[in-house]
Amino acid sequence: MIEVRLDSWLREFGPTGRQKLDADTVDHVLDALEAKYPRLKFKLRDETGQLRRYVRVFVDGEDVSTTTRGATVLDGARTIDIIHSIAGG
Amino acid sequence: MAPKGKTRILVGTRKGTYVIEGDARRKSWKIGPVAHAGYDIFHVVADPRHPGDLYAAVNSGFWGPAVHRSRNYGKTWKEVATPLTPSGKDRKPMFNDADPTTPVPRPLNNVWHLEPGLASQPGTVWLGGDPHLLFRSDDQGKSWNPIPAINEHPDRKNWGPGAGGACLHTILLDPRDPKRLYIGMSAVGTFRTEDAGSSWTPVNKGVMAPFLPNKYPETGQCVHHVAMDAANPDTFYRQDHGGMYVSHDRMNRWTRIGKPLGDDFGFSVTAPPGAPGKAYFVRLDGRARVTGEGHFQVEEWDDDRQTWKKLLSPKAFPGHYGVQREGIASDDRDPAGIYVGTTTGQLFLSPNAGKSWQLLPYQFPGIHSVSVSNL
Repeated sequence: MIEVRLDSWLREFGPTGRQKLDADTVDHVLDALEAKYPRLKFKLRDETGQLRRYVRVFVDGEDVSTTTRGATVLDGARTIDIIHSIAGG
Repeated sequence: MAPKGKTRILVGTRKGTYVIEGDARRKSWKIGPVAHAGYDIFHVVADPRHPGDLYAAVNSGFWGPAVHRSRNYGKTWKEVATPLTPSGKDRKPMFNDADPTTPVPRPLNNVWHLEPGLASQPGTVWLGGDPHLLFRSDDQGKSWNPIPAINEHPDRKNWGPGAGGACLHTILLDPRDPKRLYIGMSAVGTFRTEDAGSSWTPVNKGVMAPFLPNKYPETGQCVHHVAMDAANPDTFYRQDHGGMYVSHDRMNRWTRIGKPLGDDFGFSVTAPPGAPGKAYFVRLDGRARVTGEGHFQVEEWDDDRQTWKKLLSPKAFPGHYGVQREGIASDDRDPAGIYVGTTTGQLFLSPNAGKSWQLLPYQFPGIHSVSVSNL
């Protein structure tokens, strides 16, 4: 099980706080979240499956948003943080 | 047209949606429901076929584009279906500008314009998006169908974005014929269909593209906005990157009218039903993209007399104001009400076709769009 910690801004689409999930990759985590909270679909990833530009995913504190992204393997990882990045004005 | 009930000004801003409620005389205004905090609202529009229904083009740099609908004049909103580009198993992706035969999925970047259908089509809503996408819903936004003749157009490889993106921002419906529509796309130009969207003809003749080697191409003009003359739906007023134009023949041929003004750059134009034969533009400095003469000004075009008239004293509202493509709107009363929202959050309005103006005493976030509901 991996602990998923979600940005409070995502509450308007359903999920709250922390979730415990079984998943092998970041994409599997996002798939599971979208299955549980359908309104989350296309908010974190666009319709081509890519993480949106200002969505950041940290696996055990490491930002994988621009490196291995959704394909990141969660081998032994304990936490995922999904947050929006500093942007806008 | 006698005064009817409430007038509502629907304002889409960089930070949310505002509904401003006015009385029948359009003299007293109050800020009504505010929604979509933090979202970039490119367009808000009322559906005159269903009193109380509003649609909003809701965009977010974080969470992407969405279409929202209100059933109670903006008191509450719900996200309805958003016409995302297809990537499911049953719908092949459609975008590859270099080679349309091997499509590569490309996401919808922003939703730009929502246009409720004619009274004879109570469920129909049209939507324009980026990159140069057109969709139609026949169930009030619960589901959307792409329009392949635009979304998979063979010339897409030649279509680039303008500074605001590859936006399909203008959708105009001929009230006499549900099969005739017009669209406007940044850096592509205007197109007309006579068969409800199955095929489209580019209609840009006479419009200059000063930024291209060929100054008068078939397509590639950067249309900023177009308004239809409600009294004569064959007549259109166009604010283009290359100036201000009029067409009297369903856009077959355009004539530049803005030259007497000097710099006739701008983004916005409206043609009120209560002022047939007239169009209202906010002229901007072509380089600075704000009002260039140090004050707020609206230019009235009289199409019968072929004359221009400035509607405000230079002393009325000094400053440099930006106005975006959906930033001017008019109501359907007589005399016409004209409403202008600025990129710095001012909302100017005239209840008498431009004879007098007031600045609403409220500071909005930067305004993308203004529209009016008279229901």
